[in-house]
Amino acid sequence: MRIQMLVYSVGLGACFLGASAARCADGWAAAIPPPSTDTISAAKLAQVKPGTSTKAQVQSLLGAPWRILQFNDCGMSMPGQADETWDYRGRNAGGTYRVHIEFDDSDVARLVAKIPDHVAGTKGTRAKTAPPDMKVAMKM
Amino acid sequence: MSHINVPRLAKRFGFSVLLALGIASQAPAQGPAAAYPPYGSAIPVITNTEHRSGAVGEDTQKMPPPNGPNEESIWNMKVEGFNDNQARPIYQPLIVNQNGREIMYNGNLAGTATNALTGVSESNGTSIIDVTNVKRPKFLFHIPGPDPINGSFAAAGAQMVRVCPGSTMPNAAANGIAGKFFLLRAFGNAGANESHQIWDVTEPSAPKFLTTILSGLSNTHKSWWECDTGIAYLVAGAVSDGWQQSGSKQHVYIYDLSNPAKPAFIRQFGLPGQQPTASVATQQPCLNAPSDTCFEGTTNPPGGVHGPISMGTVVNRVYMPYGVGASGVIQIDDRMKLVNGCKSSGPGANPNASANCQNSPTQADLLWPQVSWVTMNPENGGHSSMPVFNVPIPEEQSNFVDGTPQSKSLLFVSSEGTANNCFGQAPHDTWILDIANEQTPWPMATLNVPQFPGNFCGKGARFGAHAVTEQIYPPYYGKIISVSWFNAGVRVWDIRDPKNPKPIAYFIQAPTSNTAASCSTINGVTNCFNATMNDYVEYDDRGFIYAVDRAGTGVTILSLTGEARKAILPQSDQ
Repeated sequence: MRIQMLVYSVGLGACFLGASAARCADGWAAAIPPPSTDTISAAKLAQVKPGTSTKAQVQSLLGAPWRILQFNDCGMSMPGQADETWDYRGRNAGGTYRVHIEFDDSDVARLVAKIPDHVAGTKGTRAKTAPPDMKVAMKM
Repeated sequence: MSHINVPRLAKRFGFSVLLALGIASQAPAQGPAAAYPPYGSAIPVITNTEHRSGAVGEDTQKMPPPNGPNEESIWNMKVEGFNDNQARPIYQPLIVNQNGREIMYNGNLAGTATNALTGVSESNGTSIIDVTNVKRPKFLFHIPGPDPINGSFAAAGAQMVRVCPGSTMPNAAANGIAGKFFLLRAFGNAGANESHQIWDVTEPSAPKFLTTILSGLSNTHKSWWECDTGIAYLVAGAVSDGWQQSGSKQHVYIYDLSNPAKPAFIRQFGLPGQQPTASVATQQPCLNAPSDTCFEGTTNPPGGVHGPISMGTVVNRVYMPYGVGASGVIQIDDRMKLVNGCKSSGPGANPNASANCQNSPTQADLLWPQVSWVTMNPENGGHSSMPVFNVPIPEEQSNFVDGTPQSKSLLFVSSEGTANNCFGQAPHDTWILDIANEQTPWPMATLNVPQFPGNFCGKGARFGAHAVTEQIYPPYYGKIISVSWFNAGVRVWDIRDPKNPKPIAYFIQAPTSNTAASCSTINGVTNCFNATMNDYVEYDDRGFIYAVDRAGTGVTILSLTGEARKAILPQSDQ
């Protein structure tokens, strides 16, 4: 427990140094003590299949999402941004993460990714996609 | 010569004393910005505070490179406060002085999140935040957006907000609206039954639905509401209205909302070539084949309007950007002729208006208010077109022309970058057009953010221009301009020498656990990135700057420091 609190304190301090104090209250994974087990079962997540899993099936497996996003703008579908996204929040020994699932117009999962909160940069996090994704990209 | 001489026009309309006093003293309860559009029709006077050689040759502070993508990056700005907006992605913010309280209204993109005030998951709509104390913004209320249709949020969201005080409206007392405040918002985004609504937000923590102005719409977007006349320029389309556009299918519905409970329809309007009777199959470009059946711009039919900006009754101009992110057209309209052009008599009326002018105008009906139009290159569209009038040109304070100080009226035009990771698109920038002669707008300078340093095309999400600040805060007016640049954050330029605009400040929000990932597929490989996207940047009437995040990271409240602060001070204080 002491070690966890130390990690928490160091993380919170780093947060305040690296970003604005005002935002840290909401912010980074460093401020949240990680659990020893994964809060979103890897086995269940593995059952979410891009190209086949429906919204209903995903909800049955993972429950209601923490947040839904839909970036349609001007009534236009922006390439790669038109899908409804379901976000789940999870935690494991590596810290906090989000499970990010994008659904196509037919309510079928098109993209699934498990994205660590504390990773930003040019590498990104590899996502699993349904085969039609490549066709969408070619149209951009 | 049609130089927009605001002081001369103001004098004609009896506002010269108002202008000389700097207008603030005339402001009613909602604060010192009340005299300027959209609240009033006066325009701040800009004094020259630049050296006579302008920005060229000055000691220019070098723009520092941003920090790593995990970190906040800030230059000549200071973070004053933050609110997470309940992790909802924000499209458009507006900050209104309501009897001394500073209230922020956020139009949110579609989706759902938990309302922390109630514990209930609500469809994203309008967030209302008290930002009077910028150090401790208080989330007051969330007005839900449309419910999902058949389980899909594709048509939901409530992206746009405008707020007017009833006190500034004509006949306020007779209509019983003095002392009240009203929210105009879009309801829906891409469905077949969207609408524009009005809410009574006099008590912002307990808004009351008032009325639906217009329903059955398909593409609501960014409206404008003149608070001193009540005239509103609502952006929308409807499946059944017959209007024709490429891309975003929306045009303008003009209403008189001076009595918000009783909206009065005036007319529909768009670009020649978009009207219901246009022969899209045969019409030719007006550029090289002008006729009474041609289309303006480079695409047939022309792209939809994004968001009109009216400069009110004194300047008498409305600026309309079409196309959003591609094949743009910028149109300058005579406001009086636009509002009254379907009438046969009275100011601005068109004696030759067609019988169906209000809903299905002819090309001649559409041309009646048009002062001029500019065709953009096909790879850029009209997203914002914000004028700034009579900006002194530092090098022309003597010697040139007749030796008297010269100024130029400018139009800031932005195109919207819409692709993640820059993939598949040319850069989207912001441009300064010289509109001193309105018939011949002419490019003066480009506002650009380079992708390096910062590797903005590689860090994920969108990179490119989006929107130009629209609120008029006099100390900033004609001195600085702020543009939202998605993953490159808020970008501020010193425009006191508009031929040589200087980057002078920026703020890039760090991603948090609320930041929605942006995923893109390039060469068959899909990756997701944590990156913020500054969607809009806006000012309040105290000079605080609000950066809102499209990726759900919230609102950051900023102030200017260092060289950016100096740029807005009188020359003697710099």
